[in-house]
Amino acid sequence: MRMILTAAALSLTASMALAQTTITVQYPYPELFDETQKQLAEAFSKKHPDIKVEFRTPYKEYEDAAQRVLREGITGNVPDVTFQGLNRVRVLADKEIAVSLDDFIANEKDFDAEGYHDGMRQAGAVNGKVYGLPFAISLPIVYYNMDLVKQAGLDENSLPKSWDEIIELAKKINAQGEADGVMAEWSITGNWLWQAMVFANGGTMLTADETKVAFDGEAGKQAIATLARLATEAKSPNMTANDMLAAFSAGKIGVMVTTTSRVNAVTKQVGDKFELKTGVYPDIKDGVTRLPAGGNVAIITAKTEEKQKAAWEFLKFATGPEGGAIMVRTTGYMAPNTKAADLLKDFYTRNPNQAVALSELPYLTGWYAFPGDNGLKITDVIKDHMQSIMDGTRAKEAEAVLAEMAADTQALLPRR
Amino acid sequence: MSLSASQNRAGLALIAPASVLALLFLFAPLSSIFVLAFTDYQLGDRSLSFVGFENFEALADDPTFWKSLSNTLIYSAVVVPGSMLLGLVSALLIDAGTSLRSFYRTAFFLPVMASLLAMAVVWEFMLHPSFGIVNATMKALGFAPHNWLKDGGIALYVLAVIGIWQSFGFNMVLFMAGLSAIPRDLYDAAEMDGTPNAWARFKLITWPLLAPVTVFVAVTSVIRSFQVFDTVHALTQGGPNKATEVLLYTIYAEGFEFFRSGHAAAITIVFILLVVGVSLLRFVSLKKNGASA
Repeated sequence: MRMILTAAALSLTASMALAQTTITVQYPYPELFDETQKQLAEAFSKKHPDIKVEFRTPYKEYEDAAQRVLREGITGNVPDVTFQGLNRVRVLADKEIAVSLDDFIANEKDFDAEGYHDGMRQAGAVNGKVYGLPFAISLPIVYYNMDLVKQAGLDENSLPKSWDEIIELAKKINAQGEADGVMAEWSITGNWLWQAMVFANGGTMLTADETKVAFDGEAGKQAIATLARLATEAKSPNMTANDMLAAFSAGKIGVMVTTTSRVNAVTKQVGDKFELKTGVYPDIKDGVTRLPAGGNVAIITAKTEEKQKAAWEFLKFATGPEGGAIMVRTTGYMAPNTKAADLLKDFYTRNPNQAVALSELPYLTGWYAFPGDNGLKITDVIKDHMQSIMDGTRAKEAEAVLAEMAADTQALLPRR
Repeated sequence: MSLSASQNRAGLALIAPASVLALLFLFAPLSSIFVLAFTDYQLGDRSLSFVGFENFEALADDPTFWKSLSNTLIYSAVVVPGSMLLGLVSALLIDAGTSLRSFYRTAFFLPVMASLLAMAVVWEFMLHPSFGIVNATMKALGFAPHNWLKDGGIALYVLAVIGIWQSFGFNMVLFMAGLSAIPRDLYDAAEMDGTPNAWARFKLITWPLLAPVTVFVAVTSVIRSFQVFDTVHALTQGGPNKATEVLLYTIYAEGFEFFRSGHAAAITIVFILLVVGVSLLRFVSLKKNGASA
């Protein structure tokens, strides 16, 4: 008994001597990230024995995460590192809860060479300042039911590369009468896919000074026309996201356009029912196309310089090659860090459907958050307008819908 | 009769715990909502400024709010009579029969106890547009299938049907309690006096004697239907295009999704006024009953 006590006391003093700084970390979706964060903390403590990572009870989801850290911002009880939804960086920067990372990044040598490329920094940037590094991200991709695709006369070498080809394929699948041709999850988080479609054509949501709507330009007109064609020509069904996933997994939809973060769940649900294959997002053009990252981002909220330094080490590790590799293996999300894929060669050979989106990483950009007090309300306005196209009621007057959507968004932007 | 000073003090001491709790957990949050409704506060702000009636003026101009209010009233207008009628009929049937009473009682009460969120998932599968059992049945019977939750014209009524299914068991139990309080000899007397049939007995005895229970059931049903949230949150998120947006969901979206706390507080006040109004109606009707009796 005495020996155990002495041993415990010894190990206690030993760990006390080493663990000079303790940082508290909080993250959302415990069912997805518990194992990831545990392994991260273990691997991190081996590299940095002087920093101790402690976890707070995880947030339920992104809404909960943002609400809690906003409330804690008032009471001063924030954690040192918080993982948040990528489109909520802006509100945390506006309320001065997130710490700017620009000085830390400026002090790093070879930051780009370590895989923390420019797109990755853009993803967590607000008004030109970086406030977070993306951790687990998702990008839009295309899911194919290969059984239906083959019946329509195509194979894995002739999969569509453009929206035109997707719509053609969808018509052929429709003609077989067994399943719906195509559905895009346009409603996901209100406007993520809308952003993807506009950014893919080289457009932006607002003008550079963020005072005027810009998505009603040429890129936006193309995007809304594509959506309208999905509704009219391709007869895309009007379903909720859950219904769409269930229908696709049951073999009732041929082509599905949505986020990479669904690969794991869809693969499991499909099982042996049909051959599932993923493909890159259509119409990617070098130098023009950008794709918004979904997923979550690591943000420093620590107050003291000592904790901020320790938190930065943790951020670098979690979003670096090693942390990214741990995250990919345990979740099925993508690691934004380009070096992480080097550590994951075996994983991606075994899971080719996960590897598809890697080629989209160079096009990575931020998930745009609208400025001002009505920033998140705007998301809802865009969603409602898109609904009126996708359920067919106003698919024939897509440009009029786009003009109204722009006017309604403009009315909610801050007046300067 | 006047109380002595010590009696007075004892009385105050006795009501102190209840009043402190009421102040802390009822009046304090309520009054902070009232204050918030007149500010431009957003979650996370460190300061706020008073903006007078601006939030309410914004509400008056906001089509989403009006849609939400009218949807709530329509939902209530379908669910309240539906769940009361079904509750009353099933209570009468169970009360009239002799076998399997507790089985029926439990079966019909089950939806009340089940988590509506979990049940919503089941409904979602049943209503699935391409392979849901509801559409399969419609097709088999020769009717056209519908996209139940995505058709703006019917989605609210689909939610209302789920609402009736969920709440009629509760009304049934209340009505059964009311029925058991009616003396049996009244029915015996009516039979001896020659009431022609069951309907006449119901009109003459059951319905009038159930009146207090009916008023209570009506008021609680109205308030409960105003509070619909789970099914909307789980199945439609207020869509398509606000076709199923209801007050509680709007409050949630404004406060916790858009972080517009001032707006959310203003809608909350409208909601509280509605509920208080209904409760006052009950108070008045009870008073009237008491006076005439």
